[in-house]
Amino acid sequence: MDTVFGIQFKGGVVLAADQSNARSILVYQNNLDKVKQLSSHSAMGVSGPNADLVNFTEYIAKNLALYELANDGTKLSTKAQANFCRNELAVALRKGPYQVNLLLGGYDEKEMTGSLYFLDYMASLQKVPYGSQGYASSFCLSIMDKEYKEGLSESDALLIVEHSIKEIATRFLINQPNFMIKIIDKDGVRVHSFGADPAET
Amino acid sequence: MGDSAYSFSLTTFSRTGKLLQIEYALNAVANGRTSLGICTEDGVVIATDKKLASPLVDIDKVSKVEMITDSTGFVFSGVGPDYRVLVRKARKSSQAYKRHYGETQPVSQLVKQTASVMQEYTQSGGVRPFGVSLLVAGVDGDGKTRLYQVDPSGAYFGWKATAIGKNYINAKNFLEKRYQDDMELEDAIHTALLTLREGFEGEMNSHNIEVGVVRNGKFEVLTPAQIQDYLDEAN
Repeated sequence: MDTVFGIQFKGGVVLAADQSNARSILVYQNNLDKVKQLSSHSAMGVSGPNADLVNFTEYIAKNLALYELANDGTKLSTKAQANFCRNELAVALRKGPYQVNLLLGGYDEKEMTGSLYFLDYMASLQKVPYGSQGYASSFCLSIMDKEYKEGLSESDALLIVEHSIKEIATRFLINQPNFMIKIIDKDGVRVHSFGADPAET
Repeated sequence: MGDSAYSFSLTTFSRTGKLLQIEYALNAVANGRTSLGICTEDGVVIATDKKLASPLVDIDKVSKVEMITDSTGFVFSGVGPDYRVLVRKARKSSQAYKRHYGETQPVSQLVKQTASVMQEYTQSGGVRPFGVSLLVAGVDGDGKTRLYQVDPSGAYFGWKATAIGKNYINAKNFLEKRYQDDMELEDAIHTALLTLREGFEGEMNSHNIEVGVVRNGKFEVLTPAQIQDYLDEAN
């Protein structure tokens, strides 16, 4: 039921996700942050049960931190981080799968570009210029297909995000009033806007 | 690992605080054929003396300089069969890294991994230390070239230039005199060959030495023809 999508722009990536935490007919909370920071310059939008969302993202984030500590501060590229996630999903798949569908976005200083990766719970991995997870795909993908241009600016990307959210609000059956939008660029991961402050609990 | 009768470590401290097995392993290295390496900003060269017991040995089939990943290579001094075990383990572990991260393992991590294996064999039951020191040439996570030495104890050191095996003291003195921080790879290859020739017993040619080079981020073993070109230039 989660809406997660992301767009790569010139110099970074924008990730957006709805903020509803719900099961069956009950809404637990309206201010959940589903775009979890992994390292200084990467984050992933997660779709799936809250337990796996938290478990998986914390596991990956702490393993990435361990790598930096063990290897003299060497950072892993976004590609390497995505491959690492994929491997963890693949290993867990035949034991106790993480039921998470992800959009992993990151900025690499070396290439001075952002990159976006699509991963699903079956451990598929694909680098994409833009993407979405869940029912949102039925609404967002066609908008992104039409409006995305290679090398588009941050403001253009945010415009597409705005259009996608508007479309979901109009046409998607489930009411998702709040969206968390984060931007990843040379300055790291920052919150662009949110519908409801995750800190208010 | 091994018989239950030997489940204690054979590498034990002497009263003076030494690990004699490791010292003896280092002796085995010092008796081995000379190897050396030089690291420059634009590349790394490693080389070894491939001289063998008899002219009947098919020397071209003997391989001492080995590629581990497409940007790192090993050479050794000491016990050959022990070396091949380490080469195999290093290749396997770097492929495992590739499986996890989709990228080539940086040389510093490969060195730490290999050194860790060598250390295990100084603190496990029923095994002896590896009788080799390794020289590792490669490219690190920051894109810079590196040369490392790994000893039987599992200690590792980064070097600008170094030599191991027979005659290593003379070779190192020779290198110390000739090494310059702004050296280029081509100079380094020449210097490496000159250094090898210094301590060489008999005539050195393109078949009884082996040379490996990290150039433009890629490791390659030079063919005898390529070595011959460098030898001709040196003459």
